[in-house]
Amino acid sequence: MLTSCDVSSLVIDRLCDQAGGQDVAVACFYFDFAAQKEHSPTSVLGVLLKQVVGGLDEVPGEIVKAYENQKKVLGGRGPRLSDIVGMLQTTTSEKRTFICIDALDECVAGHQVKLLGSLSQILQKSPGTRIFVTGRPHVETEVKRRLAGRVTSVSVTPRRDDIISYLRAKLNEDIIPDAMDSSLEADILKKIPDDISEMCVWPPTLGRLR
Amino acid sequence: MSQSFSYNTNSFNTINAADHRPNILAWLSPLEPRLRHQDIQESRMEDIGEWLLQTEEFRNWCAGSGGDESDSTVLFCRGDPGAGKTYIR
Repeated sequence: MLTSCDVSSLVIDRLCDQAGGQDVAVACFYFDFAAQKEHSPTSVLGVLLKQVVGGLDEVPGEIVKAYENQKKVLGGRGPRLSDIVGMLQTTTSEKRTFICIDALDECVAGHQVKLLGSLSQILQKSPGTRIFVTGRPHVETEVKRRLAGRVTSVSVTPRRDDIISYLRAKLNEDIIPDAMDSSLEADILKKIPDDISEMCVWPPTLGRLR
Repeated sequence: MSQSFSYNTNSFNTINAADHRPNILAWLSPLEPRLRHQDIQESRMEDIGEWLLQTEEFRNWCAGSGGDESDSTVLFCRGDPGAGKTYIR
């Protein structure tokens, strides 16, 4: 109903809407347990840089040069983490940038440390950059430690309005609407949010509703 | 003479970089998070979570420019264990 990736996509869409027409870059990445191997710090930071550069009229000379140098060796060597961080430091200093990372807890622990360290290096050079991270509570300490202060956290638990919107959407999708009358519908929309608020164990309950 | 040489070199580099733009972007990373974003965006229910965008924390984070020491550069959204992907949808 309200997963971390829903929250991230909501925030990313809002940032992109606001960015329209302004000189702002938005770059995002969604971690996923199923693809942990491919999600190394180099490829993740590389894809953030790719999105920032994709929004520029011209590829910065520094990046063209690095590409040409690496292309000549080993039949085309990939960019190095330190180079990517350097290029991100430069590009994000020149343009206001929002970086969004979803489900940091789904990133391998060793990679997480490197990624946060690199983001911290970027923030040091480019303090106007804004970073949005979602994750389970256990990664919060790590985020605060590695990104040195200036971290605000918000707890994302579904609000009563979210539960009601969810129920309404599910009721709308009912394939036998005749089985529902208005008083039953009103009951559902009142009792379930009430019960959930009391129990505070809403997800399994909603799961059974499907 | 040297001015004209420098001009030629620059224009050559620009054309070269523009031609290689897709290759350079692919070289930076093979990943394509845009596709994942699109999938999630399509399955997301409208209005759910909108309250987050109205919180003071989000607004301040979004509007801050880094010039002020009290600005938050990082916004961490903590999903409680029960709010995870396993149980819902």
